[in-house]
Amino acid sequence: MSEISILAILVLSLALVISIFRFITANEIYTKILTVNLIGTKIVLLILLVGTVSIEKDFTDIAMVYALINFISTIVILKYYEDKEASK
Amino acid sequence: MRHHTIPRIVTKLLIPVILLFGLYVQFHGDFSAGGGFQAGVIFAAGFILYNIIFGLDIGKSILSVNTSKSLMALGVILYLMVGFLGILLGGNFLEYNYLSNTPINGQLLGIFLVELGVGLTVSNVMVLVFYSFNDISEEK
Repeated sequence: MSEISILAILVLSLALVISIFRFITANEIYTKILTVNLIGTKIVLLILLVGTVSIEKDFTDIAMVYALINFISTIVILKYYEDKEASK
Repeated sequence: MRHHTIPRIVTKLLIPVILLFGLYVQFHGDFSAGGGFQAGVIFAAGFILYNIIFGLDIGKSILSVNTSKSLMALGVILYLMVGFLGILLGGNFLEYNYLSNTPINGQLLGIFLVELGVGLTVSNVMVLVFYSFNDISEEK
């Protein structure tokens, strides 16, 4: 069980690196926001997987808080850019 | 945000869950990760999300600036009252052992009340910071 989790963590870390590369190369701002959301979702999964390997039991709570912050920050950034484009 | 159906529906579904999670972090803080400060921030995040999606006028009709300031002060007063109650009942400042008939019950009651005060203060300070930023951007 633990070996499968460690393998999944490695694969997910590779996907995270690819996502960060996509974030750097993106030109449009909406692509960047979508990529930030993608990275946040991957980090939530990573926290949960680390929680299955580690002895600590509190990782699920932390993952839930991270998902919540990810959702709120995406909506706030999108609203900011919407207002900015409307005022042009 | 009148035309954005999907964020509105998702927020309506999510806000009770966020507030429930905040209460869980508040009252389960003795046994797992969390406590008053974190619970206050999560609670305030849910309320700020409501303000962003549905507009500040509706948000301020639920929790006005004056109510928020009063609740903020009430949290500090609750904290100090529990602290001085320890002195009045024969212990030191913030010593919970004398608050109830047995020391363990006293500890549980003291931690509960102090964390409640911290959570109340922190959540209202976060909401007030959000309101203040909005006032600054309206003045410009």
